[in-house]
Amino acid sequence: MKQAVISCLHANLPAVQAVLNHIDRQGIDTITCLGDLVGYGPHPNEVVDLIKEREIPTCQGCWDEDVVDGLDACDCSYPSQLAERRGHLAHKWTTEKLTNENKDFLASLPTSIRRDKLLFVHGSPNSQHEYLLPDMDAFAALERVEMSGAETLFCGHTHLPYVRELGQGSIRITLKNTPNKQTEEKEINLPMRRIINAGSVGEPRHGGSKATYVIFDDKTNNIDIKEVSYDIDRTCKAIIEAGLPSIFAWRLNHGFEFAELAEDASHVCER
Amino acid sequence: MIERWALISGLKGDLETYERIQKDLKKIRGDITLFVLGDMVGAERDCNSLIDRLINPHPGDLKPHCIYGWWEDQLLAERGFRGEQKADALRLNKGEGIVKALVNAVDPYYLNWLASLEFGFVELDCGLIHGSSKDIGDKITIDTPPLILLDRLTRLGVNRLFTARSSQQFHLELTDAVVNSYVKDLGGDRKQEQKVPKRGVIGIGAGAYYTLYDVGSDKTHFLNVLDQPKSNTRGFG
Repeated sequence: MKQAVISCLHANLPAVQAVLNHIDRQGIDTITCLGDLVGYGPHPNEVVDLIKEREIPTCQGCWDEDVVDGLDACDCSYPSQLAERRGHLAHKWTTEKLTNENKDFLASLPTSIRRDKLLFVHGSPNSQHEYLLPDMDAFAALERVEMSGAETLFCGHTHLPYVRELGQGSIRITLKNTPNKQTEEKEINLPMRRIINAGSVGEPRHGGSKATYVIFDDKTNNIDIKEVSYDIDRTCKAIIEAGLPSIFAWRLNHGFEFAELAEDASHVCER
Repeated sequence: MIERWALISGLKGDLETYERIQKDLKKIRGDITLFVLGDMVGAERDCNSLIDRLINPHPGDLKPHCIYGWWEDQLLAERGFRGEQKADALRLNKGEGIVKALVNAVDPYYLNWLASLEFGFVELDCGLIHGSSKDIGDKITIDTPPLILLDRLTRLGVNRLFTARSSQQFHLELTDAVVNSYVKDLGGDRKQEQKVPKRGVIGIGAGAYYTLYDVGSDKTHFLNVLDQPKSNTRGFG
């Protein structure tokens, strides 16, 4: 059975509509959303309403959490004070616009969804704020999947869609010393695990301006990264009209992100 | 002169044990640096004399380099040094009575000193932490999966991690670690084999059980001041 995984919708209604239409046209019924329904974009209520209406199982993203609980992430979320200030503006605007009913919905979202050996999270199994970048330390990446008890981990948050397979690993562990001089040596074969990042529907940062998502076929184990065109101008116009920072429109148009970059993938927020 | 580190933790106010360790260390030759990896305080006894001794070493004492541990963290939380957090973990695990006993065991006069202590030290290519780089309450044991050990080392960017939280004494070495990574994204495919150099994790013990580490040879000696040898020499000359 094929299933679609979407993430990081960021209140961009035209992008969400285009992606859902794209999924529908392929006859795929199972859709999972990895959160960040709101933030940056001009349509927070419309996007939340659409996800509710479609009854799409959704994890809570970092923006969904912060809009409900207040901004309590440490400064790792932003690479500069300027980016942080813009982020706070968007947070304030979104908090004011969201209805109480939709805030309650965001508050009710689970931080993870598990289906057998598949685990769906926003950032990582550790935190909605942790970035699992495609080229992060392979052992650390493997640890995130293995310690969560999953074989395949679906995540978002980076806005970069990718599939990463980690395998053919081993490690020799030697007990060199104990109080009773015990020694032992063993070689452990590391399991093969997979991380699938769904990219971003509403604020792509992969170098192009198209919305991205992934389709997973659990029969063939195949993953397809999909790119979908949408009416970017409509979203950009709405961003400007809403009084949100115009750079949010600029970066949607240019299709890359020069602001928020998480250089330290192993960092976990001190919250 | 041989450079050695003495690593102790979990004294929980036990000045007598600290004095015995100091006495023990005087018998050992070499240039010894003393690290106290937290849990100087606890709920079992009055901790003020030990804290005072750590702050004001007696003549002839090795000067202790202290970091805070899980019990200090709980005390500081309960005393309002951690924002809105309280000693929730202690309260949940041991009950209200122990929280009160901990608060009563340390004079408020010493709280600022405890609050000034670091989370850990990085010395040479070694991390010295009470729990781990992930959390002060992280119990690293002899049975901790190697992927977790590597993760805790990677987070600090060190080759050796000295940890105290589990109270165990052990020296684990990780070698020949390799994993293959295959990434597919919209830019194409790439394969990479990642290896890590030899790394180690050392559990230093707690209370009367402490660790002596030879910096030059990467050798550990697990000692205690419970079963003192009759001879004055300990064989580390």
